[in-house]
Amino acid sequence: MTAETLLSQQKAAIAEVLEAYPEKARKSREKHLGVDAPEGVKGACDSTKSNKQTVPGVMSQRGCAYAGSKGVVWGPIKDMIHISHGPIGCGQYSRAGRRNYYVGTTGVDTYVTMNFSTDYQEKDIVFGGDKKLKAALAEIDELFPLNNGISIQSECPIGLIGDDIQAVAKAYKKESGKPTVAVSCEGFRGVSQSLGHHIANDVIRDEVLGDNSYKKDFESTPYDVTIIGDYNIGGDAWSSRILLEEMGLRVIAQWSGDATYKEMTIAPKAKINLLHCYRSMNYVVRHMEQEFGVPWMEYNFFGPTKTTESLRKIAAFFDESIQAKTEAVIAKYTKMTDAVIAKYKPKLAGKTVMLYVGGLRPRHVIGAYEDLGMEVIGTGYEFGHGDDYKRTKEELSRATLIYDDVNEYELEQFVKKLKPDLVASGVKEKYVFQKMGLPFRQMHSWDYSGPYHGYDAFAIFAKDMDLAMNSPVWAHTKAPWESN
Amino acid sequence: MQEIDNIVNGQKLFLKPEYQEVLKNKKQFEGHAGATNPEKLKEIATWTTTWEYREKNLAREHITINPAKACQPLGAVMAALGFENTMPYVHGSHGCVAYFRSYFTRHFKEPTPCVSDSMSESAAVFGGLANMKEGLRNCKALYKPEMIAVSTTCMAEVIGDDLDAFVKGAVTDAEGELDSTYIPAAHTPSFKGSHITGYDNMMEAIFKTLTPEGDVVKDEERINIIPGFESYLGSLKEVKKNSFNV
Amino acid sequence: MSELRQIAFYGKGGIGKSTTSQNTLAAMAHYFGKKILIVGCDPKADSTRLILHEKAQCTIMQLASEVGTVEDLELEDVCKPGAAEFDPANTDITEGFIMCAESGGPEPGVGCAGRGVITAINFLEEEGAYDEDLDFVSYDVLGDVVCGGFAMPIREGKAQEIYIVMSGEMMAMYAANNISKGILKYANTGGVRLAGLICNARMTDREYDLAKHLAEQIGTQLIHFVPRSNHVQRAELRRMTVVEFAEKSDQAYEYRELARKIIANDLKVIPKPLEMDDLEALLMEFGLEEEVEADAIGKKATA
Repeated sequence: MTAETLLSQQKAAIAEVLEAYPEKARKSREKHLGVDAPEGVKGACDSTKSNKQTVPGVMSQRGCAYAGSKGVVWGPIKDMIHISHGPIGCGQYSRAGRRNYYVGTTGVDTYVTMNFSTDYQEKDIVFGGDKKLKAALAEIDELFPLNNGISIQSECPIGLIGDDIQAVAKAYKKESGKPTVAVSCEGFRGVSQSLGHHIANDVIRDEVLGDNSYKKDFESTPYDVTIIGDYNIGGDAWSSRILLEEMGLRVIAQWSGDATYKEMTIAPKAKINLLHCYRSMNYVVRHMEQEFGVPWMEYNFFGPTKTTESLRKIAAFFDESIQAKTEAVIAKYTKMTDAVIAKYKPKLAGKTVMLYVGGLRPRHVIGAYEDLGMEVIGTGYEFGHGDDYKRTKEELSRATLIYDDVNEYELEQFVKKLKPDLVASGVKEKYVFQKMGLPFRQMHSWDYSGPYHGYDAFAIFAKDMDLAMNSPVWAHTKAPWESN
Repeated sequence: MQEIDNIVNGQKLFLKPEYQEVLKNKKQFEGHAGATNPEKLKEIATWTTTWEYREKNLAREHITINPAKACQPLGAVMAALGFENTMPYVHGSHGCVAYFRSYFTRHFKEPTPCVSDSMSESAAVFGGLANMKEGLRNCKALYKPEMIAVSTTCMAEVIGDDLDAFVKGAVTDAEGELDSTYIPAAHTPSFKGSHITGYDNMMEAIFKTLTPEGDVVKDEERINIIPGFESYLGSLKEVKKNSFNV
Repeated sequence: MSELRQIAFYGKGGIGKSTTSQNTLAAMAHYFGKKILIVGCDPKADSTRLILHEKAQCTIMQLASEVGTVEDLELEDVCKPGAAEFDPANTDITEGFIMCAESGGPEPGVGCAGRGVITAINFLEEEGAYDEDLDFVSYDVLGDVVCGGFAMPIREGKAQEIYIVMSGEMMAMYAANNISKGILKYANTGGVRLAGLICNARMTDREYDLAKHLAEQIGTQLIHFVPRSNHVQRAELRRMTVVEFAEKSDQAYEYRELARKIIANDLKVIPKPLEMDDLEALLMEFGLEEEVEADAIGKKATA
């Protein structure tokens, strides 16, 4: 397809989608949809409105502040118990859904996949639930003595009835001597999970980074780094960690996939914080820079091109011995990734992809697809901000449809119109598109596969994309009642 | 490192010796008992299998762990999904709806339609009438459902939104666009009962909407089967088959 | 700069709480050069009307609902300088000034006014409204502590000293006692203390004695007895405080005296609210309630 046809198709798709809305909703949505291209001086990446309230009455894919705090930032810290404080639902729906891998004995010294809830009842709403919360904290310590701390993640009603969970946490911390933190991440706050990340970051700043108990005896080396904003989905952080260690660096903390409370507190000891998911953790690395003088750097471990680029960027921060080792690491793995590309690129080159995900992926995974010769023709963020879209511009290689907080209706229409060969989004969208006869990959959870970060992971990524797109099943999607 | 002819994902990748080394090495920075005190871990793990622990666990009153229940609006959405051309609509925060949709999609391996009217901080303070007015119209315009089944999240319930009045107000203001749409509405506070209660509440609201009083025809030959929150579709198929045989 | 003091005025609705607080705060700025931020925590948004010479135009919640989310608000949009002599730019009388913010909230009967208070205070804190060169932050809170949201100003790190505005009427006494209970709940975990009762006189019988007695019973002081004066109403009609309207009047001096006492106040206690029986006994003692025989309860009047 020529660049012009693609562009005009994309513009037509937007116009058509907007027509379906009543006027007020149309006016709001048109600011979130647009087209951008690498050559354009100012395109949708500069002008798209983002981080705004969702139009009511649509199927938004967005989550809430609780999802951002409990589900993303705090939940993966494995040796702490995270209480879903409020009615039963939130803890249940967010239980074990994100594939944050961890090593430990669940229920004894680690608890990530468990649901702890205060199961609020009507009487708690009316009379307040601070007493219940206090009793719950004590019960947890009795039954799970090896927990290294408790976080209280508040659900909507807590913020409405005005329970003072901070006071309960503080009193309990004094009593038990263990970290006890309260996070006011009520789901109605903000417009998406993004505010939840911010609130969660702020609590880490206020309640965790100031704990010096593990910092005292910490022996530093000149090569100490952290991995920040990697939730170890399918083991992502481990397949990143191995590369950094082979480069000669020492990864002293992983935030927050497979993290322990101790790692959360020693991070400021690093020489540099390496930030993968900018959206969910930029706040706390900025704080560490100001407060502890630890610089930070963004990197991208999706696909060999970006991984190599990032490894060199990281190495440049250190001395020549590290840089030499880094080149050796790159050389060692590039042989393998070249073979992967040779194997899969012929089967995937020229295929088009539409992405719709959250966090860093709408821009970070573009490079991995391009390494396989695939073309991204549409992308958007569930909960991105202006700075995310600006960073996206640099990743574009062709006219690309940009959609912010795209809802189910819009995405379905865009896909029907632009006919990509692959849709890569989340579980809510998966069967919508598979049932339309389109290959689909979940790019939140890696579709029960992964990891996708680093060189070894790229081989898995390539294999998964091939499996999804070239499966013989797509030749058999005609329904029996459809005539030839 | 991956072998090109035998690419493995995490399950097997992390069993390779170089990754086992990475995980072993990570332990020095970790704080959980498995890394710092394996003996203690063993001791506690054994303790959790004792009768004493069982008794302690059964005496637990305030913290709920891994329960087999969810909250009311999930059941309400389930009830609505069973009706033809019906859009489940949840009045409250949209995070809840994202959760319901993921939860059902994973379970049924089917798309799960459900909209929300995205109430946020200011709606929490002023009430959600404006969201309801705009939400019902947008939902109708995009999906053209014959019925919109409205349930509520705990946020709307805590602030005490008057659901029936809101729906009436929204219909009045919709310039006729919602006149031919059935809009049953059920209060489904998640701090009362469970998903089962929510299913029943929504079902009741739907029946009341579809069968206005005085419009009841008795038919000895027909029965309705209301299966309740039945998430195993095979069971429903079986019920249908057998009821034809009666 | 002296340390920021956070104070709050609580009291039953209709008691003249907003009038009393604004006049007192105006006196603190006018006579003592204090720099003050008023945070109105009442959906009616009338806690700053006399300082601004108009009802606050942009409450935090109202503006937040217009722009979408509270995160999109700017501090300048909702935190307004007082009118005339209370403007920070106006140093004619003293360096003192009053900044005004109102939480705002829903009409009666819908939504959640308590959440409005929480949202507003969080917003002001996060945006650094308290970092300015301030001596006092003053919260003016809706009559009764009906839900947790209205207790937000007395949580830890918020108001440290509470002044209860009351009068010698029975319901005002009940309310004062109830508010003390609210303070007690937070006093043990946070640092909030009861700093005194302010009697806004209705000129009922033995009002001064009663108020003083109640204060002693609760364990605090009657910090000031503000007599009734027509100046207050006259000033209010002009949307002004007495301090500004008639600075030489006796009433202005009363507020000056109250202001002085608050500034100098160091009696901050954990209140000892009365049990219902004790409170009723007290009211009876002062003739606000009559003793009734047990068998007369629930009986209609005979004649």
